[in-house]
Amino acid sequence: MVNGNPIIEGFIEAIELIITLDPQVVEITIRSLYVSLTATFFAALIALPLGALIYFYEFRGKHAVVSTLQTLYALPTVIVGLIVFLLLSNVGPFGFLRFLYTPGGMIVAQTVLIIPLLMGLTVSALSGIDRDKRYTITALGASRLQTVMTIIAEARFAVMSGVLLGFGRAIAEVGTVMIVGGNIRGATRVLTTAIALNTSMANYSLSIALGIILLAVALGVNIALSLVQRR
Amino acid sequence: MTVIEAHNIRKSYGSLEVLHDVDLSVEEGEILGLIGPSGSGKSTLLRLLDLIEPANAGELSVFGIDTVADHGTWLDLRRRMGMLFQRPIVFNSSVYDNVAMGLRYRRAPGDNIDRKVKEALEAVGLSRYIKSRAIDLSGGEQQRVALSRVLVTDPEILFLDEPTANLDPTSTATIEAIVTRLNREAGMTVLISTHDLAQGQRLADRVGVMIAGTIAQTGPSREIFREPKNQQIARFVGVQNIIPARVVSRRGDFTVVEAREKEILSATPPPAEEVEMVVRGEDISLHRRKPGYEEAENLFPATVTAIEPTAPFVNVTVHCGCDLVALVTARRAEALGLHEGMEVWVSLQAKAVHLIPRAER
Amino acid sequence: MKTNATHLAAGIIAILLILALSAGCTSPAPGENETPGAGATTAPAGGGDILRIATTTSLENTGLLAELERVYEGETGMDLQFIAQGTGQSIDSGRRGDVDLVLVHAPDLEQQFVDDGLGINPRCIAYNYYIIVGPESDPAGIANMTPVEAFRTLYEAGTNETAGVAFVSRGDNSGTHNQEQVLWEQAGYDYDTEILNAGGWYVEAGKGMGDTLILANEQQAYTLSDEGTYLSFADRLDLVPVVAEGTELMNRYSAIAVNPEEHPGVNAEGAADFINWLTTNETKEMIGEFGTEEFGKPLFVPLYAPECTEPPFNCTCAEPVTA
Repeated sequence: MVNGNPIIEGFIEAIELIITLDPQVVEITIRSLYVSLTATFFAALIALPLGALIYFYEFRGKHAVVSTLQTLYALPTVIVGLIVFLLLSNVGPFGFLRFLYTPGGMIVAQTVLIIPLLMGLTVSALSGIDRDKRYTITALGASRLQTVMTIIAEARFAVMSGVLLGFGRAIAEVGTVMIVGGNIRGATRVLTTAIALNTSMANYSLSIALGIILLAVALGVNIALSLVQRR
Repeated sequence: MTVIEAHNIRKSYGSLEVLHDVDLSVEEGEILGLIGPSGSGKSTLLRLLDLIEPANAGELSVFGIDTVADHGTWLDLRRRMGMLFQRPIVFNSSVYDNVAMGLRYRRAPGDNIDRKVKEALEAVGLSRYIKSRAIDLSGGEQQRVALSRVLVTDPEILFLDEPTANLDPTSTATIEAIVTRLNREAGMTVLISTHDLAQGQRLADRVGVMIAGTIAQTGPSREIFREPKNQQIARFVGVQNIIPARVVSRRGDFTVVEAREKEILSATPPPAEEVEMVVRGEDISLHRRKPGYEEAENLFPATVTAIEPTAPFVNVTVHCGCDLVALVTARRAEALGLHEGMEVWVSLQAKAVHLIPRAER
Repeated sequence: MKTNATHLAAGIIAILLILALSAGCTSPAPGENETPGAGATTAPAGGGDILRIATTTSLENTGLLAELERVYEGETGMDLQFIAQGTGQSIDSGRRGDVDLVLVHAPDLEQQFVDDGLGINPRCIAYNYYIIVGPESDPAGIANMTPVEAFRTLYEAGTNETAGVAFVSRGDNSGTHNQEQVLWEQAGYDYDTEILNAGGWYVEAGKGMGDTLILANEQQAYTLSDEGTYLSFADRLDLVPVVAEGTELMNRYSAIAVNPEEHPGVNAEGAADFINWLTTNETKEMIGEFGTEEFGKPLFVPLYAPECTEPPFNCTCAEPVTA
């Protein structure tokens, strides 16, 4: 390396970028939050009722479904990216939506990515309500619907932890947003893809600044998680 | 009026049979104690009777309504009953919301809920915690919350599944007092399972003994404790002496049995030729010298072979051909100056010697 | 459960508020991106307000695209969105209709794209030269050779396991990678059979130009780079240009619109307007000056008619296009 230590210089510049609220840093951060929060919201909208359905209804192959979901927790992000890319591409079945290389497409990809996690965690959150509690609810004279509502209300903090974990996975992943979003400056560039690009361009200060922000978000999620789990 | 009538109830979980051939009837306004060792099926039976889960086979009517044919009546019937579980169960909300649950399920009017919840918490002495989170309370307090949660729904039948196991004596006393009062004043029917024999005796008008998934004997608690039907029941109700013997003759109203060449009189008519004598330790009296005047039909000398304190009593084993364990108070043991190897006289009333057929081996 | 419901409702409202706020803050970008296709088909004059361009990493890495974007967006209000991929991948994106325009540098692939009827209105914009860069010590001794000679010498040195000789290939089907393959073929080797299996000295990076230069620098290896990217990375590299002469190393950039008859959803109007803007003399002057300030010499040479129609360029660079 030619001029000085790029890592230390990068660090100092990174702090400057954050403190002065560099418009590029702010814009990328807000977009990241927007994409991942929206994806988490839609994923929760879909996965929570589905997870509850799996938990409350007995059906053949329930065990297989739950263990499949648990396997999908570790779904490689690039695989999801590839699948969503093929689906959203102009020649794919959903090409007419023109969603490829848009934040909308990234939201779709991240939603798909974390749905199994949210479903699985919803099932385990509800399973965390022990048998005696369920007996108690029944014994208190709850109807079927009242039983379901009570169990969901009782598991709300565990479900919320699952949603937070899902958000953490969404905002930290790079595979799907890189493939589906295309990393377009000012349109689909988010924290992770910006870090990847700027590192490849040896633009370490911006990478470090964005990395610090990403870490801060992850830390925030963890703090929220521990607050929720303490309840 | 009979409020619960059960016949030939059977319940299994997978290949594990938990209940079989259960017959039970419960009268309105009585307190029925279910005693039995852990795993004998007490909790499962209470859940079946409270219509929390269905039996695999058998007949069950509650409040005179057949519950097997039509599950549609279950919710209504269940709402006329209530159950308190062994482990304190509270939900992750305020004490107030916990207690209000049953009333909200029944869509009671808000002011009604408010009044009843406050009354119930007053009754169990937890008014000051009304806004606290229920899971922050101690175990005993949580169980009192759970009890008020059941009681605000005014159940006609109350099921208590080992309600005071693991609770401190104060909480136990509070809960027992409330249950007794509700039974006396409101005529509430109560089914309580317990492995605490003393609690069973203290609370119940009638006791059912569950052994290995079925009700082995029912009756007044005195009868269960003095005249157990078989060896298993005898062991469970804490009989110290179960001694094999043989019926040799009748003498007046008494049966003469021989155990290790010692003749003993019993007031029980002979149930078989080969029998077992069932004698409670506290019915055996020990004397320093031969009593001058003794009403007991059986009187014989013996040697003390072991002394085992179980405060406030002392288990004294004496040898007199067969070994007998006598239960005497610590004070009496001191007064007698008991020590090992000491010669004593044993007196035993014939009606304290209960005979049961010898178990087949 | 009344208070539970209240808590839940409060939580949901909070989440929605956060979403609404972040949506508001980013409305210039994602807000408009919701219906790019609809814009393209319903606004014939402007042809939509977003133009998606698949382009090469070498153009992205020089910073030229950011400059073009800034000026063009300021003049027209059109939102230019560059997706940096290899040239091969960019043309595939165009073939699928996932983008409106491609900006690439692989004449053979471009020709095929147009011949297949998927690409229309190709216009060459500018050129520069590929250079073979390597360690200053030049362990293979290729300085001042012709490009083809240099490649042949590299192959021999590599297969003889001469110390310090390694070559890093882009290996990503980019324009630069294509050019590299052409050079190997001209040197008399079959790329698939002889070069790919040539041994440990031949390294495939599978990355963009910037990454590949950094990788080559770390390994003190030779690589083929476009001049622009090399100059914009030069301050972070120890590598020096070793071979920079020869018409074989000419690197020509072209813009090609995606045929709207094949993909009706594309922003054909926008693509035509942008191509016309690229081919104006003002834009070409801007391209011709780009980098002078920062690197001391321009990174690109703009193409003007009639020079562009003659060998070795043989392309169209001035005629306006229509959508």
